[in-house]
Amino acid sequence: MQTVAKLIDTTLCIGCKACEVACQQWNDQEYTLGVFQNTYQTMPDLAPNFWNLIKFNEAEINGAQSWLMAKYQCMHCADAGCIKACPSPGAIVQLGNGIVDFNRDNCIGCGYCITGCPFDVPRLSPKTKKVYKCSLCSDRVAVGLEPACIKTCPTSCLTFGSRTDLKFLAEKRAEELKADGFTQAGVYDGPGVGGTNVIYVLKHADQPETYGLPKDPHIPWTVSLWKGPLKWLGNAVFLGGILTAVLHFVKFGPKEEHHRG
Amino acid sequence: MDSRLERFTVPERVTHWLVAICYVYAGLSGLALWSRAMWWLAPVMGGGENLRGWHPIAGVIFALLLAMQFRRWAAQMKLDADDRKWLAMSGRYAMHDEHGVPESGRFNAGQKMLFWLQSTSAIVLFATGAVLWFPEVMPRGLRLISILVHPLAAVASMGGIIVHIYMTTVVVQGALHAMTRGYVTEGWAKSHHAKWFRQVTRQ
Amino acid sequence: MTNGWTDVSNADVVLVMGGNPAENHPVGFRFVMEARRKRKAKLVVVDPRFNRTAAVSDSYTPMRAGTDIAFLGGLIHYAIENKLYQENYVKLHTNASFLVKEGFDFAEGYFSGWDSGAKKYDRASWQYETDGQGFAKVDPTLENPRSVFQLMRKHYARYTPDAVANICGCTAEEFRKAAAIICSTGKPDRAGTILYALGWTQHSHAVQLIHTAAMLQLMLGNIGMPGGGINAQRGHANIQGSTDMGSWNNLPGYLKIPRANMQSLDDYLKANTPKALRPNSLNYWGNTPKFMVSLLKAYYGKHATKENGYGYSYIPKPGETENYGWGPFFDKMHKGGIEGFISFGMNPVANGPNTPKMLNALAKLKWMIVVENFETETAAFWNAKKLGEKFYPTFVDPTQIQTEAFLLPAACFAEKDGAFVNSSRWLQWKRAALPPPGDARPDQEIMSRLFLAVRELYEKEGGKAPNPLLRMNWDYTNPLNPSLEEVAREVNGREIATGRQLNGFGELKDDGSTVCGNWVYSGSWTEAGNMMARRGQEDPTGLGIYPNWSWSWPANRRILYNRAASNAEGQGWDPLRTPIRWDGERWRGEVPDYKADAKPTDYGAFIMLPEGVAKLFAADLVEGPFPEHYEPVESPVPNPLHTNVSSNPLATVFHGPLDKLGEAKDYPYVAITYRLTEHFHYWTKHVASGSELQSNFFVELPEELATAKGIKGGDMVKVTSARGHVEGPALVTKRIRPLKVAGKTVYQIGIPIHWGFVGRVRGPLVNNLTPSAYDPNSGTPEYKGFLVNLEKA
Repeated sequence: MQTVAKLIDTTLCIGCKACEVACQQWNDQEYTLGVFQNTYQTMPDLAPNFWNLIKFNEAEINGAQSWLMAKYQCMHCADAGCIKACPSPGAIVQLGNGIVDFNRDNCIGCGYCITGCPFDVPRLSPKTKKVYKCSLCSDRVAVGLEPACIKTCPTSCLTFGSRTDLKFLAEKRAEELKADGFTQAGVYDGPGVGGTNVIYVLKHADQPETYGLPKDPHIPWTVSLWKGPLKWLGNAVFLGGILTAVLHFVKFGPKEEHHRG
Repeated sequence: MDSRLERFTVPERVTHWLVAICYVYAGLSGLALWSRAMWWLAPVMGGGENLRGWHPIAGVIFALLLAMQFRRWAAQMKLDADDRKWLAMSGRYAMHDEHGVPESGRFNAGQKMLFWLQSTSAIVLFATGAVLWFPEVMPRGLRLISILVHPLAAVASMGGIIVHIYMTTVVVQGALHAMTRGYVTEGWAKSHHAKWFRQVTRQ
Repeated sequence: MTNGWTDVSNADVVLVMGGNPAENHPVGFRFVMEARRKRKAKLVVVDPRFNRTAAVSDSYTPMRAGTDIAFLGGLIHYAIENKLYQENYVKLHTNASFLVKEGFDFAEGYFSGWDSGAKKYDRASWQYETDGQGFAKVDPTLENPRSVFQLMRKHYARYTPDAVANICGCTAEEFRKAAAIICSTGKPDRAGTILYALGWTQHSHAVQLIHTAAMLQLMLGNIGMPGGGINAQRGHANIQGSTDMGSWNNLPGYLKIPRANMQSLDDYLKANTPKALRPNSLNYWGNTPKFMVSLLKAYYGKHATKENGYGYSYIPKPGETENYGWGPFFDKMHKGGIEGFISFGMNPVANGPNTPKMLNALAKLKWMIVVENFETETAAFWNAKKLGEKFYPTFVDPTQIQTEAFLLPAACFAEKDGAFVNSSRWLQWKRAALPPPGDARPDQEIMSRLFLAVRELYEKEGGKAPNPLLRMNWDYTNPLNPSLEEVAREVNGREIATGRQLNGFGELKDDGSTVCGNWVYSGSWTEAGNMMARRGQEDPTGLGIYPNWSWSWPANRRILYNRAASNAEGQGWDPLRTPIRWDGERWRGEVPDYKADAKPTDYGAFIMLPEGVAKLFAADLVEGPFPEHYEPVESPVPNPLHTNVSSNPLATVFHGPLDKLGEAKDYPYVAITYRLTEHFHYWTKHVASGSELQSNFFVELPEELATAKGIKGGDMVKVTSARGHVEGPALVTKRIRPLKVAGKTVYQIGIPIHWGFVGRVRGPLVNNLTPSAYDPNSGTPEYKGFLVNLEKA
C-alpha cells in the first residue's frame, strides 16, 4: 500500500483556522471556550478534544517583522515514538498507508505515548482516561477521501497525496523559495524519526523552533534506553535471579540448623 | 520443651504481608506495563484499563505501608562492624560454610541490605511513579527521566525480592514460618541469629 | 469588483490596502496565492496593523488610519514624476486630455466654489470647457495647463514621499519601496490589482478615497486589464446583491431615487438621463427610460400605464436634500421622528456607530420588529442596562421604555434557496440545505405576509396614501410565500405580450411592453433557464474567466471596462492578457464591455460614462473633482497640508447631546475597529465553533505604548472615547508600530468587533466608542481612525 502524507506549505498559511473547525466537526469534538493568552492562537496547546492547532508565533527574523503560522498535529512518524512507548498491544497501530492511528478500545490511558512522542502531540482526557490525537482522518482516507483539514483549506496550503509525490513537491517549492531569496527555505519532515508523513515547507527551515516545531526530532533517548538496553538488563536480572536460585538450590540445598558445628 | 521465641510481632507480620500483596500486584502489573511480552499478565491483573488505574494505587498503599515498616525497623537495620565483615564473607554464607562468618543480630547483614535496597527503590518508584501517573500535568522533562528511572528502580527492587523470596522460602527453612506464625525455635534462632538469640534469652 | 476573484490570479502586483483578505476573505485569498505561484506576483500590504495578510506579503508598509488618500495621492505623484504611468492608455482611455473651465482652483483646503455659509460647493467651476455642441474640449498632447492631466499633476505635486511619510507615519523610504512595486505595473505588459474592503469605505472621505484608487489604476493602465481593476471585497455573502437591488441610495440597478422636485416621470428621466459629452460617447445611461419604465412595470403591473407615467407617482419622493441614509435615519429616530422600525437581518445596536445613541434612538420608537436567526442586541436593546452591564450607565430602565418589540424568527441562509451575489458580481443560485427550525420562516414569506396584512388594512380602512400599496403588483402563484424562482424570473424581465423571458437589458423597451425588476440582472433567467444555477468550469480564454459558472452582471461580463485592455486598434496592450480583441468584424473573447460589432474607433471604452472615457477628474462627488487628503473627523494632528481645513468639510456629522467628538488632548490614541477571521460579524458568537476559535474580546496595542503604561499582555484595559468605553484584556504586540506623524509619535489601537451583550460568548460592543460621522456620498460611518484614551482597568 502507498504511504500517504500531508504537505503543509507554511508560506501559504494565513492562519484562518478553517482546518481547526473542520477537524472539530468531522471528529465530532466537544467545543470548549478559549482562555485569552495574549495571542490569536485558539488554545495554548493541543487538547484531548482539539487535535489540530495553528500555532501563531511573532518573531523578528533578519530585522523584519514576521508572524509565522503553522498548523500543528500528529506527524505520523515512520518510526513512531508513541508506538514504541505503548504497552498495550493494538492500542496504537501503524496502518499500511503509514497513518499512525489510535484504537481506543485497547488504550489503557497510561500516557506513555505522550512521553514517547518527540512532538508532544497525544493528549490524555481526564474524563475518558483515553489518549487522543489526529488520525489523519484514517476513516476518510480509508474510503478515498482526503482528511477534513485538507478538504477545507482555502489557500491550498495543505495538500494530501502519496508521500513520494509530496516530498518531491515540497522540495520543489523549497527550491522556488530559495530562488526568491529565502536562502534558508527547506523541507521539514523529521529524518530523525524515519521521516514523518506530515511534511512542512518552511521559509526559515534553519530555525523550525520559531514555528513551534522541535529542532531535530528524535524518539527521546530515555524512551529508547528504556525500551532497549534496560529491557535486556531487566530480563537478565529476573531470569538470572531465578536461574541462580535454582542452581544454588541444586548445589547447596537449604541451610541446616547448627551447621556452624 | 518450651523453646519458642517470638520473632515477629503481629503488627510486623500484618504490615509485611500487606506490603507483600501490594508489591506483588504493583510488580506483576508493572511487568505487564514493562514489556509487551508480559502483557499476558494484564487480563490476570484486572485488564488493561483497571491495571492502569490500580497499579499506582497499589504503589501508593505499598509506599505508605513501607513507610510504617521503615519507621519500625530502620533503627535495627543499621550496619555495624560485624555486618560489614559478614558482607565481605557473604560468599561463604551463601555456600553454607559459615565458618568465621560473624554471628547476626535480629537481622543479618543481607536482610539489612535488602531493607535499604527496598526502601531506596521505593522512594524512587514513588517519586517517578507520581510523575508517570499524571502525564497530562507533569512536565515533559520529568516524565522523560521517570519513564527510564521508574523501571530501573523496579528492576533493582525485584532483583532483591527474588533473592528474598528464595532465601526465606527455600534456603532458610523456618523463616517463612517466622513471618507467618511469628515464632521460631531456639535452635533456629541460635543457628541463624545467634546474637539475637543471646539478646532475647539473656534475662 | 471590476474584475472578480478568479481574475486576481492574473495579477503581477496585488495591492491590499483598506482590506485584509487573508483574514476576512480567506477563500477568495486563494487567488492571490495563485497569482504568486503562477506569476510570481508581489503582494503589497499597506495597513495600520501587520495583520494576517501582511504575514504572507512581500512588502508591508505601516500607515496611520485615515490617511489613505495621502498615500494613494503620493503614488499618483510618484507615477507621474517618475514617468511610470502608461501614457498611451491615459491618453486614449481617460479624461486626462479634457480641458477644465477657467476658474477651477484649489487653495488652502478648498476647491473653487466653496460657499462657507451653506457649507457646500457650487460645482459650476468644476465643469469641462465645451464647444458649441456641448462637447468637452480636449488637448490630446496633455500640455494645456487647463487639461485634467496638468491640473492633476499640480494638485498632487504636494504629495511628495516626504509629505506622505509626514502624514501617514511610514518612512519616505518605505513609501518609495512600496511605490516602486505598485507603479511597476504602469507598463503595458504588467497588471496590478487593488483589493480593498471596509478599511477604505469606513471613512468620512471614503468615496474620494476609492476615487483616488481608481485614478491610480487608470494612470497605471490597470482598469479593464485581466489582473487589474479595483476590487471591493464585500463583507457579507449577499451585500453586493443588496446594493444592486437598491437600498436607500438607489433604486434597483443603480437608478437614482426620485426626488420631490421630480414629480412626473418626464422630470425624473430628464434629470437622470445623461447627455454625451464627447461625439464618440456611447453614453449607455442614455437608456435610463427603458430601465425605469420596465422597473415601474414590475412594481405596478397592469396599474402602470403610459397615461399615469407607469405608476411613477406611487413611488415615495423624499425632498431634494432629504437623506434616509443610516446616520440621518437614526438621528431622526433619536429625535423622536420615527414611529416604527423593521430591522430585517440588521442589528443596528451592534453594527451602527455610537451604540449609546442607537439604544436611545430605539427607545423612542413606538414599535420595532426584528427579523432574525437569533435574539440580537437590537432585539434585546430594552434590556441593555442589565445585559450590557457597566457600559450604559445612563441608559434607561426597561420599565421606562415604551417601544413594543417583536422578534420574528427567520430562516438562515442555508434554510432557503435563492441567489447570493458575491464580490465578483456573480449571481450564484443555491438551494436550501435543510428546512428552517420551529416557527422560523423564509424572508420572503415574512415580508409577503406583512405586506398583504398591511394592504388589507389599507383596503378596509383607507389611509393617506393607499395607492403605493394597493396598486403594487403581487401576482405571484402563492402571494403569501412567493417562490424565489418566480421572483428571479421577474427580476430578469420578460416581454409582456408573449411572456418570453428576456435575453438581456438590450431588449428592454420604454413603452411599457417589457417588465424588468433590475436591468443589470437582465439575462440571469432567460428562456434557456436559470443562468445563475450553471456550474460549467470551462475557461475558453485561459484567463480564469469562467463564463459558464453561474452568471455575472452585467450581461455575464466578468471584467468590467474590458475594452480598455486594448489599444486604439482593438489589440491588447498585453497580447498575452487580452480579454477582448477586435478581429476586423467583431470583438472576440470575453463578453465585450462595448458594442459587440462596433469598430474600436467608434466609441470610447467607457460606454457608461457621458465622457466615453474614464474620469480622473470627476465633478460628481460633493467634496471636489480631485480627491484631497482630509483627516478623519477625530484626528491626533491637524491636517499637515492645510491646518485650517483639517477634516472633510462636507463630512456628515451630528450635533446632538450623544454625538460628542473628542480631541487629541483628551483622547490621544488612534483607534480602528475590524473583523477577525474567526468570526462573522455579530453572528458567529452565537455558534459553538466560532466561539471556540476566538472566545474573547481583546484590545490590540503596540508594545511601546503598553510598556509606557505598565500594561502586560492579558492585563485588563479600558478604552474610552467621547461616546463611551469598552474593557478587555490587552493583546500587546510588535505588529502595530508607533508612527511619527507631523513630528509627533502617534500610537494606534486595534479593537476587533464581534462581541456583544447576547450570545454564547459575550463582550463589549466596540461601537460604544465610534463616532456618528459619515461619508457624505455613501453615508458609511467612520470606523477607521477615531480617537480614544487607554488606561489599565
